[in-house]
Amino acid sequence: MLVDLAQNLLNGLMTGMLIAIPAIGFSAIYAVLRYPNFAIAAYATIGAFAGWWLNATFGLGIVWIILIAFCVSGLVGVAAEQVTLARLRPAGALTVAIASIALNLMLENAVRFLFGNDLRGFDLPIQPDWRILALRIGPQQVQNMLLSLAIMAALFLFLRYSPFGKAMRAVADNADLARLKGINPTRIAVATIFMGAGLAGVGGVLLGLDTSIDPMTGARILLSVFAAAVLGGLGSIPGAVVGALLIGMAEEVSLLAFPATYKTAIGFVAILLMLTLRPRGLLGERAL
Amino acid sequence: MTILDVQKVVAGYGAAEEILKEASITVDAGEIVTIIGPNGAGKSTLLKLVAGLMPVRRGTVQFCGRDVTGLDALGRSAAGISFVPQERNVFSTLTVADNLLISAYHDRATAGSRREAMYERYPVLAEKRKALARTLSGGQRQILAMAMGLMSAPKMLLLDEPTAGLSPKAADALFDAVTALNREGMPILMVEQHAVEALEISTRGYVLVTGRNAATGTGPTLAADPEIRRLFLGG
Repeated sequence: MLVDLAQNLLNGLMTGMLIAIPAIGFSAIYAVLRYPNFAIAAYATIGAFAGWWLNATFGLGIVWIILIAFCVSGLVGVAAEQVTLARLRPAGALTVAIASIALNLMLENAVRFLFGNDLRGFDLPIQPDWRILALRIGPQQVQNMLLSLAIMAALFLFLRYSPFGKAMRAVADNADLARLKGINPTRIAVATIFMGAGLAGVGGVLLGLDTSIDPMTGARILLSVFAAAVLGGLGSIPGAVVGALLIGMAEEVSLLAFPATYKTAIGFVAILLMLTLRPRGLLGERAL
Repeated sequence: MTILDVQKVVAGYGAAEEILKEASITVDAGEIVTIIGPNGAGKSTLLKLVAGLMPVRRGTVQFCGRDVTGLDALGRSAAGISFVPQERNVFSTLTVADNLLISAYHDRATAGSRREAMYERYPVLAEKRKALARTLSGGQRQILAMAMGLMSAPKMLLLDEPTAGLSPKAADALFDAVTALNREGMPILMVEQHAVEALEISTRGYVLVTGRNAATGTGPTLAADPEIRRLFLGG
């Protein structure tokens, strides 16, 4: 029993690390643009398919796949934002959020139209799981976790030390003051969407490496991503990471007690509890 | 030499509402000018209008001999007008050091040396350089906000109620900092609730009532005028 618990916690940690990347993207977009962008699911799917296509066609290695998937998803995100959501911003956050759900469906079906509904897998060698004590862990999972950590570290350095990263944080903190200081919030918004959608795309690739991909890849994790961001505090990037790890572990541990069908309920329960008890989230700055 | 010349400006938020009704104000080189008046007189609105945050419906704004009426906030700030808002005037989740740096975002080459100059001028900022701005005391935060306003090397500083919410001691320290800055030649236009103290350090003052100029004079004269004291300064 204890071994089962430890195994599920470990699996949850792995899942959490994968969810964390799109959750960071989601939270970053929320921090700067102040609306929840549910099209993040489609950006994850698009990244996954871009990565898979590069891998299947050119046999590119993982680092190249991640970099290109980041750019493809980022560009699709910026284009979709400028054509659709940006025009709706004056109508308020709720309108944009609803429109992003519609945008998500459109993009998902565009992927379906191009690639079909089949499951596809990356061309990876099949490796036996490692056994550490009584726990099983796949080499691919370890690689994914290291990639996820590397991406988070790069992002942290970018936001913490680069002038552009600081400008992003300044706009997220206080857009009016940023404008007074000569920072153009529109440019920062575009850059943030590129980064957020790009991160979702990278998350999609990591998920694809872990299992397989299809046009629903992003949609399946959307609730977990949203729950992670709410749990950690919308707009907080460290919060998104903490939230993702907690959601990942809670989902996996729930399998010990409930049938797998109920796994998705964990996300809803987490959102419900958090909004009731602490609406600003674990690490959030302000209430929703 | 006139640095700022605002002539008969009309402005307001809603379509029909007029907060400023032909208000006029000038600031000459080396002056501290304070605007006082009752609540809702349009003092802060006038300051925002000068900063370019409030569209001018009628009237003109000239800065250093140039008509800047049509420029927005970015344009006015590029022209050399630096506005320090009353509230939310620092990036609370950034460090003191980053707050200063980001305030000279378009001049990154010299931002580092300018920040050093701010540390020298305001040692408290040097001490707190690694602290998040939200951990500062009210007085420290206002000093940071003013230093941020100076990071763009402006030709004039606009201060919106810089001592609001400060303890008397912190307010005095802030007025000292304003005076010291002005002695080096920085023209300052400010709106203040602590009218007596503000007028005492001011070259000139304006009394604004319901969007119009009601009185003007040198700072000490206004501060001593019994009628003004009775009306706006609480006796």
